[in-house]
Amino acid sequence: MIQVDNIKRSFRSVKKEEGWRGTLNLLLKPQYTSHEALKGVSFSIEPGAFVGLIGANGAGKTTLLKILSGLIPPTEGSATVLGQNPFERSLHFRHSISLVMGQKAQLWWDLPAQDAFELLRAIYNIPIPTYRQRLEELSTLLDVKPLLQTQIRRLSLGERMKMELIGALLHWPKVIFLDEPTIGLDVLAAHKLREFLREFNQRQKATIILTSHNMDDIERLCTRVLILRQGSLIFDGAPSQLTRSGLCQLRVQTLRPVPKTELSLWTGISPNAIHYSSTEADEESSEEKPTGTVLFTLEREKIVSTLQTLMSRTTLIEMGIEEQSLESVIQNLYANETQLANRSS
Amino acid sequence: MQTKLNWRIAALKNGLQDATAYRLEFLFEVLGSAAVPAAIQTLFWYAIFKVGGTQELGGLKYEDFVAYTLTSILFTQIRGGDHDFELQEMIRSGGLSNYLLRPCGAVEFVYLRGIAPKLLIAALSLGVGLAIGQAFGIQPGHLIGAMTLALIGNIIHYQIGAALATTAFYWEEAYSLLMVKNLLVSLLCGELLPLHLFPSHLEWIWKSTPFYLYVYGPTQYALGRWSNSEYFFHLGMGLLWIMAGWALVNFTWRSGIKRYLSLGG
Repeated sequence: MIQVDNIKRSFRSVKKEEGWRGTLNLLLKPQYTSHEALKGVSFSIEPGAFVGLIGANGAGKTTLLKILSGLIPPTEGSATVLGQNPFERSLHFRHSISLVMGQKAQLWWDLPAQDAFELLRAIYNIPIPTYRQRLEELSTLLDVKPLLQTQIRRLSLGERMKMELIGALLHWPKVIFLDEPTIGLDVLAAHKLREFLREFNQRQKATIILTSHNMDDIERLCTRVLILRQGSLIFDGAPSQLTRSGLCQLRVQTLRPVPKTELSLWTGISPNAIHYSSTEADEESSEEKPTGTVLFTLEREKIVSTLQTLMSRTTLIEMGIEEQSLESVIQNLYANETQLANRSS
Repeated sequence: MQTKLNWRIAALKNGLQDATAYRLEFLFEVLGSAAVPAAIQTLFWYAIFKVGGTQELGGLKYEDFVAYTLTSILFTQIRGGDHDFELQEMIRSGGLSNYLLRPCGAVEFVYLRGIAPKLLIAALSLGVGLAIGQAFGIQPGHLIGAMTLALIGNIIHYQIGAALATTAFYWEEAYSLLMVKNLLVSLLCGELLPLHLFPSHLEWIWKSTPFYLYVYGPTQYALGRWSNSEYFFHLGMGLLWIMAGWALVNFTWRSGIKRYLSLGG
């Protein structure tokens, strides 16, 4: 269904220095910088799979989706989707795929969704009875039936996103690329959208590739996860492979905050596997500040010895053991790619 | 065949719905852009002929200029449109992605959505022209022919704009280029001044562009200043320009699209 062989993609952009000098230089002697967004990515996806594509900002997720949907070609390597080169954008290919970008409106703002869907019906040449049946089904599933005649611009973000999804699915695509479809949605709207996607995937056997920063999306929907880090594929496997590796989280509350380096020195646990439980205010800052509550990611069998070490060095007020969430695993993996490579193999 | 026609008709309908979503805004835009330039020009002719005392200019009298200005209103509303600007913005911001993945031609789709309100205006202008034109000696056949020429001009205008917009694939911006094109069009299409005011040794300038087909040509034919054979000659020229424009758009888009970055998102 989808075959990707060693694709690379680089982008060139103009570099501008600060101030007047930079402006003048840009005018007279522009300097360019090249950025490699994808560095030799390979994988294949079977029909009907629901695959999560995750990675930090700038990891290359959206670039990969753009290549697979045929918007841009790879600089090197090859990709085939439904047996075709996506960048040729054949009529058959365009009839068979769909791309939804959570951050980009694809419908027309001043028109009610129904008018936009009518246009899409004509573009994809969907027979009128089939179109009516699908619209009824999709709008009921997503709970937006009463809003079909409202101008898109007057809808809430969640409602708009649902309309975007309907617009993208009306032609029953075989392959769907979803780029952060739950971005900005409240918990309930995101939940409904997820339920809908799961049902659509199961019923239509459509292949879905989803990128999201929301680990709930990935955990609840995807049977397979691809993790990109700085343009390289660092993990390809089931989400359960990430969480079942015998690692868990030890949460301890110390009487006084202890620096991470000190904790690492005492316990022998890598600083990357030690995190402070942050408050909301701290989350706004990129720097991790020592707090009383510390989370250690470690093997189950090391829990006792770690606790003994900590108790001999500092006063513990409270402790607990938690299973690792996918989110914390991913967080660690972004920071420590070697660990991930071992687990993937 | 039916399939190909279906989406085109739907795009026209959608464009019309979009343009008229705000009815008053649409009405003000149409009436304002028709009445204000015409009022300025009429005042201008009044100043030259009545205040300045000029009897004749380029072989034409005051009444001829006023007739030209008023008749040209019927066609100035049909010329141009800003869908070439829309194209360049789509290339620049990545909005083109939305159209590239649909099973229809992006350039044609944008044009059809953009031309839809112009077609409505053309029909209204024709209706007005036919209703009151005869009182001023304008023949219905000439008016219909003139409107056809104006619509051909609209297609050519978009083709040139669409080809220029592809520079945004290379430079990321084509706004200035399109603005300069529009300024040249304003001067050379005959909406500001009748083109026979050009000095004879400079006439080659407007004759070597298709812009005169937008307003000047249709106005001349509607006023009966072009014979039928002249009209058909220029109609033929218009069709040739469309064919050249089609080739130009195909070439520039095929080359440019390879450099599309689909920014944003």
